[in-house]
Amino acid sequence: METELPHTRIRAIMKSSVDTGQVTNEVLFLMTKSTEMFLKHFAKESYQHAKKPNNLTYNHLADLVQENDNLAFLLQIIPQKIKVKEFKALLEQGDESSESSSDSE
Amino acid sequence: MVERIEDLNLPNAVITRLLKDALPDGANVSKEARSAIARAASVFVIFLTSTSTSLARKQNHKTITATNILDALKQLEFESFIDPLTKDLEAYRKVVKDKKDKAKKDTSGTENGTEKESENAA
Repeated sequence: METELPHTRIRAIMKSSVDTGQVTNEVLFLMTKSTEMFLKHFAKESYQHAKKPNNLTYNHLADLVQENDNLAFLLQIIPQKIKVKEFKALLEQGDESSESSSDSE
Repeated sequence: MVERIEDLNLPNAVITRLLKDALPDGANVSKEARSAIARAASVFVIFLTSTSTSLARKQNHKTITATNILDALKQLEFESFIDPLTKDLEAYRKVVKDKKDKAKKDTSGTENGTEKESENAA
């Protein structure tokens, strides 16, 4: 059974969380396979979204993340892009509304 | 242990190969998209690991099992992964078992100890 992604790296990522106990070879194999499947699935789904054929861009990924509940864990990793102008408008809006109802942080 | 944050990145060459596998010929993936996909995969590992760990904890186990991972995938709404992964797992177990059986026959039971990659981790 072959995997493409390096096991040592996957193990290091798993172990980066202090809660993770021992990682058996079998678990490591399954985690690596799962990750490869996730990566392909994510790319395929996003690619189907791409309106312009043959091109997969960041925005396709961000759109897919917005639309799918099971990708919600990526909302902060792959946020939708906004223009500086829009960001400033958001900030100003925020200032106005924060006077009445204080937004946390 | 992880010493640098780059140690949590997955290798670019492998990501490129997997994407080539997944997408039709001639598909173009922007640099930015590729690095976002790589980051997503790293986060997926952390996410799936921590979900599996809490499932193991619920059963008073410290070490996660393959079943914990499959259950975690279901919980995280990646049900479609479960069937193909179960098949992969069965195939993997068979390979391991065959190797063991062969090793028994050979009786030269010199096994390599677990390699520790970086012992100088702070």
